[in-house]
Amino acid sequence: MRQTYAVRSLILVVGLVFVGLAVIVQMIRIQNSEQAKVFISQGDRYSGEFSMVYPERGEIYDRSGHLLAGNRTVYELGVSLNEMKDPEKLGHILSTYLGLTYDEVHNKLIDSPESWEYVVIQDYVGAETVSSLQQLMQQMEDANDNGLSGLGFKPHFQRSYPENALASNLLGFVTRDGRGYFGIEEKYNDLLAGNPVQVWVPRDPNKAMEIPKVPNGTTLVLTVNRDLQAKVENILDDALVNYGAENGTIIVMDPRNGEILAMATTPRLDLNNYTDYFSVYDNGSQYNRAIGMAYEAGSVVKVLTMAAALDTHTVRPDTTYIDTGSIQVGGITIQNWDRQPWGQQDMIGCLQHSLNVCLAWIATQMGPQNFYGYMERFGLGHPTGIDLSGEAMGRLKVPGDSDWYNVDLGTNAFGQGVTVTPLQMMMAVSSVANDGRMVTPHVLYSMLRDGHQYNVPSQYAGSPISAETAHTLNEMLSISLEKESSQALLPGYRLAGKTGTAQIPTDFGYDAFHTNASFIGWGPADDPQFMVYVWLQKPSASIWSSETAAPVFSEVAEQTVILLNIPPDIVRNQLALK
Amino acid sequence: MQATQIIHAYKQAPWRVQRQWVGAFLLAVIGMAMIAALYLDVTARAALAGREIQELRFEITTIQRANADLETRLADLTSTTEMERRAFELGYRPVKPGELDYVAVPGFAPPEPAILLAAEDVVSPAKTLPVEYTQSLLEWVDERVKFGGPQ
Repeated sequence: MRQTYAVRSLILVVGLVFVGLAVIVQMIRIQNSEQAKVFISQGDRYSGEFSMVYPERGEIYDRSGHLLAGNRTVYELGVSLNEMKDPEKLGHILSTYLGLTYDEVHNKLIDSPESWEYVVIQDYVGAETVSSLQQLMQQMEDANDNGLSGLGFKPHFQRSYPENALASNLLGFVTRDGRGYFGIEEKYNDLLAGNPVQVWVPRDPNKAMEIPKVPNGTTLVLTVNRDLQAKVENILDDALVNYGAENGTIIVMDPRNGEILAMATTPRLDLNNYTDYFSVYDNGSQYNRAIGMAYEAGSVVKVLTMAAALDTHTVRPDTTYIDTGSIQVGGITIQNWDRQPWGQQDMIGCLQHSLNVCLAWIATQMGPQNFYGYMERFGLGHPTGIDLSGEAMGRLKVPGDSDWYNVDLGTNAFGQGVTVTPLQMMMAVSSVANDGRMVTPHVLYSMLRDGHQYNVPSQYAGSPISAETAHTLNEMLSISLEKESSQALLPGYRLAGKTGTAQIPTDFGYDAFHTNASFIGWGPADDPQFMVYVWLQKPSASIWSSETAAPVFSEVAEQTVILLNIPPDIVRNQLALK
Repeated sequence: MQATQIIHAYKQAPWRVQRQWVGAFLLAVIGMAMIAALYLDVTARAALAGREIQELRFEITTIQRANADLETRLADLTSTTEMERRAFELGYRPVKPGELDYVAVPGFAPPEPAILLAAEDVVSPAKTLPVEYTQSLLEWVDERVKFGGPQ
């Protein structure tokens, strides 16, 4: 009997062991089969999801820390079709809150393809609207009403410009696809946008630490002074009204290092409504006329001609010239702006009275090689290299070009036949205000990334003239302004500058009725800390820059000395003595 | 005879042998249960910590959004037009150059633009955790069986 039990037990044990072994073998076989690999890969596929992480776009500040471009949260509003209970009610409520028609919403909900699980009703919905909808959802849920079931909100960032149109020409804008257009937004788009990273986000909480952190885009600090920018824009807007000008540009720059302190142009765009772009501008060059639009600047170019003549020792300040009212260059007669002779003049008088004949004579004395050599060194015909998108080059015809004639030497000397942008003129003339050294204008002061500030060093674009020439011409331009009793003068401050009234070329010769009025000036004359360029297009109150651009310069200079804390000369000299 | 007595003296009774086997089996079961409990505890804690990390990440994102919104809102409230409007309402007006007094302050240097974002998040370089801190016991055993060592 005992033996029988033992045999039965043994058989049972063997059977169980066999079954157990069979289970184990089967487990191993299944886990290592070809099908297992398919199942494992399927499992891996659902163990997480690939997600594109877009970093927050870097902010833009002015030099004092005022936010010029930031980000605000907006929402993509959509409906999970599987969870939707009442499309009619959803249609009614969403059309009311989103400003859409009932049919628009309802059709999206009902007519979506069957494979769709989620449908977007509207994107870029403001936080206030979403908050109201969320409150309504809560109230309906409390009342056991599932009319808004399936409604969801996905937050994301949208570019925001707290100052609206202020400095719009400098900043540019960002479209909904996240790309920057014009200005800083385009020039530094890659830095601001950061690097989007595609990440595998595991659902397994044990692997949470593997989710990488995506650094935000680089934050930029500009050289611009927001308050000065606002003042300059106001002055420009008033000037357009007061002088009946079509458009205008004012730039304020520090001639010692090329920092742009303000850059105002018209028209400006409310950057929070950048879709108005096509109704505001005809083409891209109008977006920032200070850098994008080259024009014949007229007599402000005489500063460069005189600088070249002094530097080549062709003339000295006391060199005299008998102005007969006309001069022949290349067989063509060149006349003064008033077609009158001005008699004996020294070089200060030539600048003070802005005599075309005198400057044409100077250019002929220098010769084309010297004259155009200096114009090239001043950067005419080349972009300044400013860190803004959309810069134009202007045009400097030189001997050898098919459209260059001998008369061009004479006309170019007083700014006719040569096109420049306002910024090119500032860069060139900065050499006069900065001991002969020409600065490269720039807008970026520093970059902030990973908690570190990287300052952008100032760059110099060479020394086209000597320091001695620069000092001499600086003094000559100060004297000429004072002698002229110019409307550009600012009581208490000794300034230097030059007017420029230029005829406007058309397809049929020069426009007989309209001019471009310009003025370039800087101060204080003995220690230049700011340089201002004013360009008014087609002023109707007066065609002369001395009566339009010059007083605008004075207004800008007044605000600049206040906001930059530059004391009057007498106070500054007293403070320097202490 | 003597030898037989000695063998009997040291021979275990059958019930004692059975008890020893049962004891050894129970010991093994208890040992495995302890390991399983320990593993379960560690895994559960790791899962909770992982979930907490995921929630904190979500919270960080939410706070960053709120920060950006507040910063933009603050900028709206301190924009030039808004500040000018408030200044006029308070009775201020723009200053004229002649109304300014300049005072020499020995040793004073005008402030230069400095770091504006004191609370900028510093991103530390990605650290690679040793596998011992990320691998479960089962994964470790699986790796040993499959590859005979860490990969």
